[in-house]
Amino acid sequence: MSVQYTPVIWNRNKIFYDAVLLIAVALYLYIYIRVAPGYEDVTKPIDGAILRMRAFGSCAFLMLTVILCIGPLARLDRRFLPLLYNRRHFGVMTAGIAAVHANYVLTWYYNFSPTDKYVALLSSNTNYGQVLGFPFETLGIAALLILFVLAATSHDFWLSFLGAPIWKALHMFIYAAYACVVLHVALGALQGAGDPIFTSVVAASVVLVSGLHFATGRMEARRDRGEETAKASLQEKGWLVAGELDEIDDDCAKVVTLSDDERVAIFKYDGKLSAITNACAHQNGPLGEGKVLWGCITCPWHGYQYNLSDGRAPAPFTEKISTYKLKLIGSTILLDPNALPPGTHVDPVEIGEAA
Amino acid sequence: MSWRQTKDAPFYVGYLNAVPKQLVMFLVVFSVCFAGGLGIAALALSSTQNDPGNGGFQWGNRFENVGVLELRPYPVLRVPADGETPARTYMLAGQGKRGAFSQAEKNQDGPVTLRGVPVNRGDLTMIQVGRVEAVEGNAPDFTPAGPVPLGRWKLTGEICDGKCYAGAMRPGRGLAHKACADLCLTGGIPPVFVSSGPVENRNFFLMADQDGNLIGDEIKPLLALYVELEGDVERLDDLMVFKVDLAKARILK
Repeated sequence: MSVQYTPVIWNRNKIFYDAVLLIAVALYLYIYIRVAPGYEDVTKPIDGAILRMRAFGSCAFLMLTVILCIGPLARLDRRFLPLLYNRRHFGVMTAGIAAVHANYVLTWYYNFSPTDKYVALLSSNTNYGQVLGFPFETLGIAALLILFVLAATSHDFWLSFLGAPIWKALHMFIYAAYACVVLHVALGALQGAGDPIFTSVVAASVVLVSGLHFATGRMEARRDRGEETAKASLQEKGWLVAGELDEIDDDCAKVVTLSDDERVAIFKYDGKLSAITNACAHQNGPLGEGKVLWGCITCPWHGYQYNLSDGRAPAPFTEKISTYKLKLIGSTILLDPNALPPGTHVDPVEIGEAA
Repeated sequence: MSWRQTKDAPFYVGYLNAVPKQLVMFLVVFSVCFAGGLGIAALALSSTQNDPGNGGFQWGNRFENVGVLELRPYPVLRVPADGETPARTYMLAGQGKRGAFSQAEKNQDGPVTLRGVPVNRGDLTMIQVGRVEAVEGNAPDFTPAGPVPLGRWKLTGEICDGKCYAGAMRPGRGLAHKACADLCLTGGIPPVFVSSGPVENRNFFLMADQDGNLIGDEIKPLLALYVELEGDVERLDDLMVFKVDLAKARILK
């Protein structure tokens, strides 16, 4: 969290994250370009520019695969959440690696010609009606442009300027970029002489990304079905049964699904209950999977914090989220499903008094 | 792990420097696996790349020969027999992705001395033209032989640009190289058909249209694909010329 925009607010965890990333990428490129050619069974070495082009291209592809796996992995197992925290640096670095790949393509395949290389890039192959022989470079350009836009707008300034819904929708284009990259590879490099290892890596990437998203989708659907009772069981006019007190650990929450796009997090803390929307104002992170730290709800994704009674970020921060009214009958928690305007104060329910 | 948060579960907040102890080992193991996995992937992907063959520039074996320049329909140098060495015909290309038409057109009137760099793959040789000078004084009396017809053939293979395939780029064929091949042909580099089956033990053919003229843009959709072509094959000294009817071309895969 920050009240002013600076390029990067460094902390030890971000430095460690970026260091691991840089070491892994450097190791990949070093082995690909320097070490592995010594083990190639070739008559004459592959051109240096083509070798580096392949190294940077395949590295960007693998990085994009990991980026897309982090989200579902963090949903399936919270231990992966630290990978989510600084994922934007991962994305920016991926865009940079992809740009180096594109530069090698441009200055090798499209160079040494009377035609300007940028003109040649778009005009040399225009057989868009063919599957085999399709200008797969165009798909790579599209993916690179998306990665550039996402990298350029990854800063919190753009999140604040565009608003979370638009920013989120924009950054969902990462899936379009991945689809373009997969087609770029499938219609290009994979159409060459058989390379079972590369083909297997691309297939494994697609299966992994799709499989993890499918598994996460099923988990979310199961979770929503488990909350159906909350939607259906109207115990008292205008109130829903949200659950029992003993379902919630201290300083933790229970998440209640009201509709496909509305979930409420009910927190138990200091002998009290408060309810707020489950979506963080920052990037829609699942607040109900966070904890109460220093008297504030803390988002598990990036640590954004809110007061429990009014959903306002502690000063000097200005974010605010919707709150909800609660009632306690015995040990049963009742929830008023009507969201109050963001930042509305609601007196917490005292567990001791009501129970 | 359940999505439901519990009191005892470790909770990571990025801007706090203290990572919960339960997560430290997990993150260290993940980091090692991530870096190690990328390293193994790099080794597997890079060390198993396909052999681009033995083509390449022969920088240490500069070309210098006296002969006659012809357009057949692309520029070629016809070199007379010399002792036991029979007459030869060399395909010509300019610097980069440029043809050698201007040099050939300027010097068609008599014998020339041509200097350049050979680009060679097996029995396919393309000369990257450096300097062309008309032979002054006692020019050798040399009339190149006419083409020898070898009949009509249906061949399968790939259309490449003759310079990259000869070794100017390694690899210089395949769909990843298609755009480059396209630019090379546009620049005037001769197209070469690489046949999967030989004709008189030769697998490389300089291409021309069915009337022996330059091929137009109709070749472009067929570049770098596995195709079947039909046409007349001629032998020009040691160079095969495939005069194809592109209207009958079929893309096989």
